[in-house]
Amino acid sequence: MSEATLERGLKALKEQIDTPIALFFSSCTHCGMCATACLFYTETENPAYTPINKVEPMRRLWEQEYTLIGRIKKAIGMSKPITDEELEEWQEYCYNACSLCGRCTMVCPVGNDITYMIRKMREGMAAAGHAPEGLIGASKRAVKIGSPMGVKLPALQAQARHAEKDLGMEIPFDVEGAEYMMLMSSMEIMNYPEYMEAVAKIFRQAGKTWTISSEAFEATNSGIQIGSSDIARELVSRVVTAAEKLKVKTVISPECGHAYTAIRWEGPNLIGRKFPFHVKHILEVLDEFRAEGLLKTEGFEEARMTFHDPCQLVRRGGVVEQPRNLLNMVSKDFVEMKDHGIMNWCCGAGGGVSANEDAAELKMQAFKRKKSQLDELNVDTLVTACANCRIQIEEGLEENEMDIPVVGLTEMLAEHLVEDNKTEG
Amino acid sequence: MTEITNETQFKQGLQQLSLADQRAVGARFVEHVISLADDERISFAIRVAKNKDAAEDELAAAFKSAKAAALDCYTRCGADADWSEQAGYFVARAASAIVAPEKDISGDGPAWTAAMNSRMARTCSIIDANTDAESQETGQQYRILEDLLNS
Repeated sequence: MSEATLERGLKALKEQIDTPIALFFSSCTHCGMCATACLFYTETENPAYTPINKVEPMRRLWEQEYTLIGRIKKAIGMSKPITDEELEEWQEYCYNACSLCGRCTMVCPVGNDITYMIRKMREGMAAAGHAPEGLIGASKRAVKIGSPMGVKLPALQAQARHAEKDLGMEIPFDVEGAEYMMLMSSMEIMNYPEYMEAVAKIFRQAGKTWTISSEAFEATNSGIQIGSSDIARELVSRVVTAAEKLKVKTVISPECGHAYTAIRWEGPNLIGRKFPFHVKHILEVLDEFRAEGLLKTEGFEEARMTFHDPCQLVRRGGVVEQPRNLLNMVSKDFVEMKDHGIMNWCCGAGGGVSANEDAAELKMQAFKRKKSQLDELNVDTLVTACANCRIQIEEGLEENEMDIPVVGLTEMLAEHLVEDNKTEG
Repeated sequence: MTEITNETQFKQGLQQLSLADQRAVGARFVEHVISLADDERISFAIRVAKNKDAAEDELAAAFKSAKAAALDCYTRCGADADWSEQAGYFVARAASAIVAPEKDISGDGPAWTAAMNSRMARTCSIIDANTDAESQETGQQYRILEDLLNS
C-alpha cells in the first residue's frame, strides 16, 4: 500500500473526527462493558474484538492531533504514528469482526455510540485501501450496475414475470402516482423471490397501489457497509430521484436490515435535505394495514415459533412492536428469545460481514450466540425479516445440525391471507 | 381426458393428489430441470420422492441433504451474481420440497413448491444465457401432471 493511500486514509479519518466522535473518545472510561455486548468477543474471547478497540487508530489520531497531551506524547515519541501495517491489521477488527449491530452502543455507561464510531472508522479504512475485497467488489457493482450483486433490470423483470404467472396479476413497474414505491434487495431477487409474490398478494388484498422503479429498484447500500459516504450518497440519490419522478408518497424498504438504516436514517443526511416522501420498512407498512383492517388473515401456524430481530430494524431503527403485532395474527405459540427486541443478539452476518469472504469462518463462530438462544427455546420455526439474517441463520443451523425452518415474516403472512372471494363478501 | 391450460387447473390438479403422489409428480418436475444442477444429493431426493414406500427416516435424510445442497450454491449477499449457480440453488430447493417431512411442508404442498422452484431454476438459466427466451417450464409441468392424471 503506497504512502499516498495511507495519507488519504488518515485525511479521511481526520475528517470523520467531528464533535460527537471527540466527545466519545474523551468520555470513554475503558471499562470494557462493550466487549460483553459484542458477539464477536463473547464467542471468541479475542480481546482485539472489544468494540472500542476497533477504533483505536482513530482514537490515537484524535489524541495526537486534537489534544494537548496527545501532541506532547507524539512530540516526545510516546505515541507512535499510525502505519499502513496497523490499518491492515485493523481491517479484521472493524470489518470481519463487526456487524454494526449496535449492541455495544446500548451498554456503554457513558452513552458512546460505538457503532457510529466504527462506521466512521470504516470511512478512513476504505480511503486507505484497507476494506475487504468482497465489499470493494460489491460497491463497484452497486455504482456501475445498480446492484451489489450485479442484478440487472432484465433479471428483475424475469423474476417479476415468474411471479405474474404464479399469481395471475401484474407486477407494476414505473407507475406514476402510485402510493408506494417498493425497493427490493438483490438477496431477495436472487434467493427469496417469493418475497415479491407475497408483497403483491398483500397489496392486492389491501387495495393499495404500488410500483417498482425500473431505474432504482435496489435497496442495498454497499456504501454504508464499506464506509464510503460518497458511494452511499450516490445510491440514496438514485432512489430519491426515482421516487420523486414517480411522485410516490412512501418508499418501502424491504426485508433487509441495513437497507432500512441507509435510506431512512442516513439517507436525508447524506443528500443534505428532507425527502418529499416517507420511508418505511415493509413491516411498518404491513402493521399499518393491520391496524386499518386491511390485512385479513385466517388460520394459525401450528409450530412453536420465535422471531429473530434484525439489528438494524429494532436497535438502529425502532421497529420493535410491528413484527410482534403481525406474528400474533398468525401464531398462537410465539415465544421470545431471552434477549430480544432492542437487546437482541445479531445473527453474525450484518454490516457487510456476509459479503466479506475473509469473515466466513468468524461469522459462523459468532452464530454460536444465536444457537445458544435457540437451544433454550426448543422452537419448531424461526421467523425473521431480513434476507441476509435469514441465509446466515439457515447456514448456521445447517452447520450446527439444527433442524429449524427459517421463514420470512412477509411471506408467512401472505400464506395466511383470506382468499379474495372471502374478503369481497 | 384431463387437460390443463392454466394455473388454477394446475393447482387444483395437484391438490387432489395424495401426499405420496404429490411427492412423485414433484420429483418429475425436478427431473425436468436436473440438468441445471450437478449434485448427486438432488438425484437422491428424486429417487426417494418417487418411492411411495419411502420410510420417514429416508425422507428426512434426503431432505437434509437437499437442503444442504441448496445452501452450498446460494449467492452470498454482496457476491457477484452467478445465475447458473443460482439455477442449481432453486433445483435443490425444489428437491428439498418433494422430500420435506410433513411438518415442514408449506401450505400449497410439495408438488406446487417444487413446480415453482423448478420454474425459478429455468428462469435463472434464461437470465444466465442472456436471452429473451420465454420459459416453457410451466407448459411442461402441465403436461407432466396431465400424464399422471390420465394414466
